[in-house]
Amino acid sequence: MLSYATLFASGLICIALALNAWRLIVGPTTPDRIIAVDTMYINSIALIILLGLYQGTTSYYESALLIALLGFVSTAAFCKYLLRGDIIE
Amino acid sequence: MTNILEIVVSFLLVLGAIIMLIGSIGLAKLPDYFTRLHAPTKASTLGVGCILIASMVYFSFDLGRLNLKEFLITMFLFITAPIAAHMLAKAGLQYKVKLKEDTYNKDLSAKAYLHKAPDED
Amino acid sequence: MHYFWVPFLPMLGIIIPLLTNKFNRSTCALATALLPALALGLILFDLPAVLDGQAFTQSIEWIPLLGLNLSFRLDGLSVLFSLLILGIGLLVILYARYYLSEKDHMGRFYCYLIMFMTAMLGIVMSNNMLQLWFYWELTSISSFLLISFWSHSSDARKGARMALTITGAGGLALLAGIVLLGEVVGSYQLNVVLNSAELVQQHPYYLAILSLFLLGAFTKSAQFPFHFWLPHAMAAPTPVSAYLHSATMVKAGIFLLARFYPVLAGTEVWFVVVSLTGLFTLLLGAYTALFKHDLKGLLAYSTISHLGLIVLLLGLNTELAAIAAVFHIINHAIFKASLFMAAGIIDHESGSRDMRKLNGLWKYMPITATLAMVASASMAGVPLLNGFLSKEMFFTETLDQSILGSLSWLIPVLATIGGAFAVAYSLRFIHDVFFNGEPKGLTKTPHEPPRYMRVPVEILVALCLVVGIFPAYTVGPLLDSASLAVLNHPLPEFSLAIWHGFNIPLLMSGLAIAGGLAIYLNRKPLFRFEGLFPAIDAKIKFEGAIQACVRWAQKVNQTLESGSLQRYAFWLCFFALALIAPPLLDLDTTRGSQAEYPLNGAVAIAAVLLVAGSLATVIWSHYRLIALLMLSLVGLVVSITFAYFSAPDLALTQLSVEIVTVILLLLALYFFPQHTPTSKSRPSHFVRDLAVASLIGCIIGSICFALMTSPLDSISEFFIANAKTGGGGTNVVNVILVDFRGFDTFGEITVLGIAALGIYKLIARMRLSMRTKDHDGRLWATDKYPVLLSVISQSLLPLFLLISAYIFMRGHNLPGGGFIAGLITSIALIQQYLAHGVDWMTKRVSVSYHYFIAIGLVTAAITGLGSWAFGQPFLTSWFDYFSLPWIGKFELTSALVFDLGVYLTVIGATLLILANLGKLTTKERLTVGVR
Repeated sequence: MLSYATLFASGLICIALALNAWRLIVGPTTPDRIIAVDTMYINSIALIILLGLYQGTTSYYESALLIALLGFVSTAAFCKYLLRGDIIE
Repeated sequence: MTNILEIVVSFLLVLGAIIMLIGSIGLAKLPDYFTRLHAPTKASTLGVGCILIASMVYFSFDLGRLNLKEFLITMFLFITAPIAAHMLAKAGLQYKVKLKEDTYNKDLSAKAYLHKAPDED
Repeated sequence: MHYFWVPFLPMLGIIIPLLTNKFNRSTCALATALLPALALGLILFDLPAVLDGQAFTQSIEWIPLLGLNLSFRLDGLSVLFSLLILGIGLLVILYARYYLSEKDHMGRFYCYLIMFMTAMLGIVMSNNMLQLWFYWELTSISSFLLISFWSHSSDARKGARMALTITGAGGLALLAGIVLLGEVVGSYQLNVVLNSAELVQQHPYYLAILSLFLLGAFTKSAQFPFHFWLPHAMAAPTPVSAYLHSATMVKAGIFLLARFYPVLAGTEVWFVVVSLTGLFTLLLGAYTALFKHDLKGLLAYSTISHLGLIVLLLGLNTELAAIAAVFHIINHAIFKASLFMAAGIIDHESGSRDMRKLNGLWKYMPITATLAMVASASMAGVPLLNGFLSKEMFFTETLDQSILGSLSWLIPVLATIGGAFAVAYSLRFIHDVFFNGEPKGLTKTPHEPPRYMRVPVEILVALCLVVGIFPAYTVGPLLDSASLAVLNHPLPEFSLAIWHGFNIPLLMSGLAIAGGLAIYLNRKPLFRFEGLFPAIDAKIKFEGAIQACVRWAQKVNQTLESGSLQRYAFWLCFFALALIAPPLLDLDTTRGSQAEYPLNGAVAIAAVLLVAGSLATVIWSHYRLIALLMLSLVGLVVSITFAYFSAPDLALTQLSVEIVTVILLLLALYFFPQHTPTSKSRPSHFVRDLAVASLIGCIIGSICFALMTSPLDSISEFFIANAKTGGGGTNVVNVILVDFRGFDTFGEITVLGIAALGIYKLIARMRLSMRTKDHDGRLWATDKYPVLLSVISQSLLPLFLLISAYIFMRGHNLPGGGFIAGLITSIALIQQYLAHGVDWMTKRVSVSYHYFIAIGLVTAAITGLGSWAFGQPFLTSWFDYFSLPWIGKFELTSALVFDLGVYLTVIGATLLILANLGKLTTKERLTVGVR
C-alpha cells in the first residue's frame, strides 16, 4: 500500500511541477516567474523525499536539504535583483 | 512494519501531495499576482511538512531508531518560506503588478505602490 | 664525480644576494661569490681526469617517454667553458662590487648575474639537447634582465628588448632544430647524437636541421645579419658587457657550433655558409669598430669581428682550424673581458666613454693605462701575447682552403685586411684614450680606481702574458682535451710555439701590423669618407619593423575577432560538426545491444520539463533575466534526474553550482542591457544559426543514444572494487576525486585559484556607476537591506555552516565532500553579503580571500608531499581506523586533509570572484525620493 501511495503522491507532485512550469512560461510578469521557480524548488524537495521513500534509502536526504537551503538563497537573490538591481551592495 | 503505521504514512504522503498540488493549481489558476503568491506559500509549508513527517516516521521504524533528520528541512522551510514570500511581495509592489478588478479597497494599492501609509497624503 | 652539482650550486646561489643585500656591499659580494667559488673548486677537482681525455656523463630520468632527462656531461669543451664562466664570473663579481654605485640595487644585480651563470653552466654541461635548450632560453631571459638593469634609461630598455627578440627568435629556431635532430637520431642524449654524424648528414632533414641550428647560433653570437643587437646591448652596466657580451653569452652560439661540430660539420653546405658568414662578420665588425667614438661601441664591434673570426675557423672544416677556434675562444675571452673592465674603469673614474673627450689619460691612471695597453696589444695580435698565437694559427688555416675555387687566394688577403683593421682600432683605443693631448670637457678629474677594482683586470692581463709566452705549459692540456671533445676523434699533431720560423703567416701578421699603422695614421681622410654614408640607427629600424608586425597582427586580429559572439559560436560549432559528423556517417545504426530503460510517467514529465525549459531559455534569450529563470528550471530538473539515476553526489554538486552561477549571472546582468534588440539579427543569420544549432543537437543526440545503448566496458568497475580497500572510503566519487585522481583534482584547484586571481585582478580597481532607474523606468526600492531578510539570514548562517561541515565530514564515505561543502559555505557567506552588504561583511571577515586560496593549495600540496616522507609517490593517501573511549571507532585519512585543501580553495575562489563583483558598483547612487 505504501508504494502505491508513494507513486500516487509522486504523480500528483509531477503534475504540480508541470503546472508550475506552465506558470513560469506564461508569466506574465517577472515576479510571477520567480514564484513559479520558488514553488518548483519546494515541489522538488517533496519529490526527492518520495524517491527516497520509494527506494527505501536515506541517501537523497542531503539533496532535499540542499534544495531547501539554496532555493531560498536563489529566490532572495532574484527578488533583490528586482528591488535594487545590484544584489550585493 | 505494522499496518497502522503504513496507513498513517500513506495518508500523510497523499495528503501532503494533494495540498501541494492544490498550491500549484492555485499558482496556475488564480487571477492576479498577490493571490498567486498566497497559494503556494501555504502549500509549501503544510504540504512539504506532511511529506517530511511521513518520511520521518517511516525511516524511524525502518532503521529501528529515532530519525529526526527531516525535521531540519521542515524547520528550515518554516523559517525561510515567510521571508521568501515577503521578498516576493516586495518585488510585486516594486513592479506595481496589476490587481484583480474586484479587489477590496483597491484604492489603497495606489498608495502602497508609492510606499505610503494608507492615511498619508 | 662531483661535477653533477656544479650547475646546481649557482642555482641555489640565486637567492643569496637578495638575502644578504641588507648587509654591507662587501658582505653581499662575498656571499654571492661563495657558491660559484665552490663550483669552481668542484670543477678543478675533476679537472685532471678530464685532461686525461676522459668524458663523463650522469643522468637522472625525468620524463623518459619524452626523452627528457636531467643529464650532465663533463668533457674537455664543457670544462673549458665552465672554467671561463666561473673564473671570469668570480672576477666580474669582484669588479661589480666597486663598479655599482650606492643607488643601484646590488642584490638584484647579483641575483640576475648568478641566474645567468647558472644558465650558462647548464648550456655547457648539458648532456640532453632539450635541457640545453631550456638553459639557452634562460640565458636570453637573464641577459634581458641584465641589459635592462638600469631600467630608467630608454636605451637600456630598447637594447634589452632587441637582444631578447633576436636571441629569443633564434632560440625558437634552435628548438625546432633540436626536435628535428632528436627525431632523426631517436635520442636527445648528446652522447648518442654526437656519434651519429653519418646518419644525420645523409638524412633529408639535414639541411633543415643545419639551418635551424645556424640560426640559433648566429643570432646568439651576433653574426651578420643578426649582429646589430650586440652594440645596443652595451647599454648594460659594464660588468655585464664584460661577462655576457664578450666572454660568455655571445660565445654560447660558438659553443653550440663547437658542440655539434662532430654531427653537423664536414659537409659542403656547412663549409660555405659558416665560413662565409664568419668572414663577412669579421670584416664588417673590424671596419665598423674603427669608426666608433664610444669606447664600448668600439669593443662591441671588435667582439663581433672576433666572433666572426672564430665562426670562420669552425667553418673551414679542417681539424687544425677547429683547434685554432677553441684556442681563440680562450684568448678572446681573456683579453676582451679585461678590455671591457678597463673601459668600465675609465668610464667610472672619468665620467665619459666618448673617445673624442677622453685624451691623455696616461698621466692620470698610469697603471690602468698599462693594463689596457697590454690587453689591446693582445687584441691586435702583437707577439708575446696570447692573441698573437691564435691569430697566427688563423692565418695559417686561411691559406689552406679552397672555398672560392680559383679565387681562394682572396681569403688570406681579406683575413689580413681584417687583421689590419684590428690593429688600427686597437691603436686607436690606446692612442686616443691615453695619449693624444689633454682630456676635453670631462665632468670630473680622472684618477686610478679603488685597489680591488683593478685586481680582476690585472689577473686577466697577467693571463694574457703567461699564455702568450708559455702556451704549451699553460693552456696546452686544456686545449688538447677541449679540441678532442670538439673533433670527437684523436687530434692531429700541432705545436703551440711562438716561433715557427719565417713563413707566410708571420708575413701576414707583419703586414697586418704595418697596414694597421698605415690605416690609423691616415684615419682623418677615412673618417671623412665614412661620414659621407648616412648613419643607420638599427634601433629605429628595428622598432619600425616591430611596429609594422604589431599593426599587421592587429589587422588580422580585427578581421578574425570581430566581437560578435554569434560568429565565434558559429565557427566553433561548425568545426565541431565537421569533425564529429563524418565518423557517424559510416555507422549503419546508432542502436547498440543494451536494452532500453523502461519509460514511466515521472521520467516523461521530467523530460518534457527539461525540453520546455531549454526551449524557453532559447526563446527568451533576448530577455536575459527571464532566460536565467528558465535556466534555473533546467538546472533543477537536471539535478533531480541525477538523483533519480542514483547519483546523489552529482545532484548535490549540480545544485550548488547552479546557485553560484545564478548569483554570478545576476551580479553581471545588472551591468548589461536587460533586453537585446531583436531587430539586429539578419534573417539569413537566423536561418544559418538555427541550422547549425539543430544539426549539432541531432548529432549530439545520436551520440548519446549510441553510447547509452552500447554495453560499456569502463574503468568504473575498478574504482568500485578498490575504493574501500585502496582509498579507505565507500563513496567512490569522492575517493576518485581525492585519491585515484587526486593529481587531477590538485591541478584543477590550482587552475581554479589562478582563474579567481585573474578575475580579481581584472575587476579589482573597476568601479561602475549605478543607474537610478531600472530598465522599465521604475525607481529602485529605497530599502537597501530588507530587515526581515537581514535578521533571518544572519540567524541561518550557523545552520548553513553546520550543514557544510556535515557534508564535508561525511564526504569520504557518503555523498558529499570538500568541493560541495566549499560551495555551500560560499553560498552561506554570499547570502550574508546579499542581506547585509559589503561593508558589514568587510568589518566581520577581516581575512582576505586570497589567503583561503593560498592556504587551501598549500594544504593540498603538503598532504601530497607528505607521502614522500614515507617513500611513496606524490599524493599517495593513507588511512587507518582508530578507536577512542566514548567516541568509538573512527577513520583517519590523509585524503580528508587534502579535501580540506579543496574546500578552502573553493571558498576562496568563489568568494574572491563574487564578493569583488559585488564591490563593483559605486557606493552612492542617485536615490531621488519618491515623495
